[in-house]
Amino acid sequence: MQPKLKSTVRCTDGEVGEVRRVIMDPLSHEISHIVVGGGTAALVERQVPMGQVQGVTDEVVTLRGTSAEFTALPAFKRDEYVTTHEVEIAHLEERIHVTPGEVLVPFPELERSVKRRTFFANFTHAIGFLIGFPLAFPVLRYLMKPMYSPFDNDWLKIGNSSKIKQDDVGVQFKYKRKIKEAYMPEQEIDKNVWVLKATPKVLETIYQGKDMEFRDSAGKHIWTNKKDVPYIAYSGKCPHLGCGFKWRTHKTLGQVFLCPCHLSIYDAAGKVLDGPAPRPLDPLPIKVTATGDITIIDMEFKAGTKAQVRIV
Amino acid sequence: MDTTTQPTTTQPSVIEKVFDFVDERVGLKTLQAKMLNEPVPGGSRWAYVFGSVLLFIFIMQAVTGILLMFYYVPTADHAYASTQYIIHSVDYGWFLLSYHFWGSTAMVVCVFAHMSQVFLWGAYKKPRELIWLVGLALFGIVMGFGFTGYLLPWDQRAYWATTVGVEIMDKTPVLGDFMARFLKGGATPGQMTLSRFFVIHVMVLPAALMGLAGLHLFLFRKAGPAGPFRGSVEEIKAKTDYFFPRQIWKDIVGMVAVFLAICSLAFWEPIVLLEEATPDPGDYHPEPEWYFLFLFQLLRLKVFAGEFGQFLGAIALPGIFMALLAALPFIDRDPERNIFKRPIALISWIVVMASILIFTVAAIINREFLE
Repeated sequence: MQPKLKSTVRCTDGEVGEVRRVIMDPLSHEISHIVVGGGTAALVERQVPMGQVQGVTDEVVTLRGTSAEFTALPAFKRDEYVTTHEVEIAHLEERIHVTPGEVLVPFPELERSVKRRTFFANFTHAIGFLIGFPLAFPVLRYLMKPMYSPFDNDWLKIGNSSKIKQDDVGVQFKYKRKIKEAYMPEQEIDKNVWVLKATPKVLETIYQGKDMEFRDSAGKHIWTNKKDVPYIAYSGKCPHLGCGFKWRTHKTLGQVFLCPCHLSIYDAAGKVLDGPAPRPLDPLPIKVTATGDITIIDMEFKAGTKAQVRIV
Repeated sequence: MDTTTQPTTTQPSVIEKVFDFVDERVGLKTLQAKMLNEPVPGGSRWAYVFGSVLLFIFIMQAVTGILLMFYYVPTADHAYASTQYIIHSVDYGWFLLSYHFWGSTAMVVCVFAHMSQVFLWGAYKKPRELIWLVGLALFGIVMGFGFTGYLLPWDQRAYWATTVGVEIMDKTPVLGDFMARFLKGGATPGQMTLSRFFVIHVMVLPAALMGLAGLHLFLFRKAGPAGPFRGSVEEIKAKTDYFFPRQIWKDIVGMVAVFLAICSLAFWEPIVLLEEATPDPGDYHPEPEWYFLFLFQLLRLKVFAGEFGQFLGAIALPGIFMALLAALPFIDRDPERNIFKRPIALISWIVVMASILIFTVAAIINREFLE
């Protein structure tokens, strides 16, 4: 039991005063001292360690020593302490039970007759839910507006094949593509593809003896790259994580496509020679006119997947 | 001499009257006392400064961020030009933008220091599990700030970091494609992406951070500081002081040091933009910010090749790591806090830090190979 404020304090030879304050230990959260004052023998408030306390009842605190020993205890120095209101020690106040009794305020008249408190609380939550829930779907749809758009299968002129001087060597063709995004004015963005004039050996690796068909998501035929046309256009986007790859000379692998991001390496046929890429480079639909003009359908595929998934 | 006209010391001055008026209504004195008189078990330490320093960095990021918004325009056709305008035409624009940039780096560094300190001190243990969990959420928000802010200047660096970052997110099973499209507002980065990242960066994340940082502090005050991990109760009690003044003094010194470091970096290494964002990288070799280099290098490993390997390296590994961190206080229920008596914890920390260091250095060495 904790000593209560205003309890009478008795020594072996009589009363010395009453409990004026208690001092808490900030670490153990226990009462460490009581401050005794008010009695005839205690004109000065004295600080008594709990070790000196023999017994505590509701109204009386009994100390071990005599009143002479009590007066020999050090005087209480108020300026060495702060009140619990002036300091923040977690959970301290929960441990103090020294108030002389309960402190009460009246429960309002109107509240006394209200029985279904839980019902009202749940009802309030239900109303909140009814406001929020119907909004969830419209908000989601609102945010999803531009996420999916149809593919553009128009042919785009990217340059002339006279730029390619050597077989099986990647040549970068830069081109501008017009885009119109929602409310924005039409913009031109820079893109690039790598075009290769392939020898029959490389063509064989790419086509495996079959023409390459391009179909839209509904399965409708868009274009077929014939296996005997030597021109190949690779999408400029690395199938690993979408960076732009380059045509470079590698110490041991010779002339290769190299992505500077995560170091995927592909040969002229687009086959992965080294690095983390999950699939070969992506050939695009390509048309070369008699005058050498190269046109492509500008497609983009999702990076990082084994299968080609068209996204643009 | 006539001394009767001199005001007596008992009469309050106008300032005191105003203060008392406010205090009576707000309870300033109690509030101040509660804020400052928090016992720090075992006394103040330099190791405890990181939380306060992070709060300081965040406030400065908010201030510089708001100032940048006076000129910045979040549209695909003007973001780059308006950022160049801030750098080249607005007085001290280069400095504020560079401060904001280096401030974000300082934030990441201090988050690592703060988390390491809490981990090594065993301060995540009962009853402080929730502080740790909210802290992890804050860590995620800081990363989100870095990721979304990086796109805003709309230069090549910005464009490619976002392209690769979102592709990584795309590898999440089931939800990946939706998440990536949702973030980009389409199939490829464009105006919708910029709008989304801008709103997330300047509205969503700051609101989330303020709320969670408030909760973090509330929970911290509720549980009280953990204090040192060794020493007897008497020793700890003898060394205990209040948050004010010794800890606040150390915190302030920490803030000044960080402030000066950020200013110096902003001054000597100001932001320089690359070409305007476009899907053709030109000669640019995309690379993330240095604190993401280890992840970047990790994804180059053969182990993480192919579709499944990529999922393993980009999603599963970081995911498992974060899940382990979140589960930490519930797995590690041993009340022992002394790091020298927690060999698994100490070794794990060293291994994680060493791996980050090794992979970062490897990424830097690889740069030469690409030239």
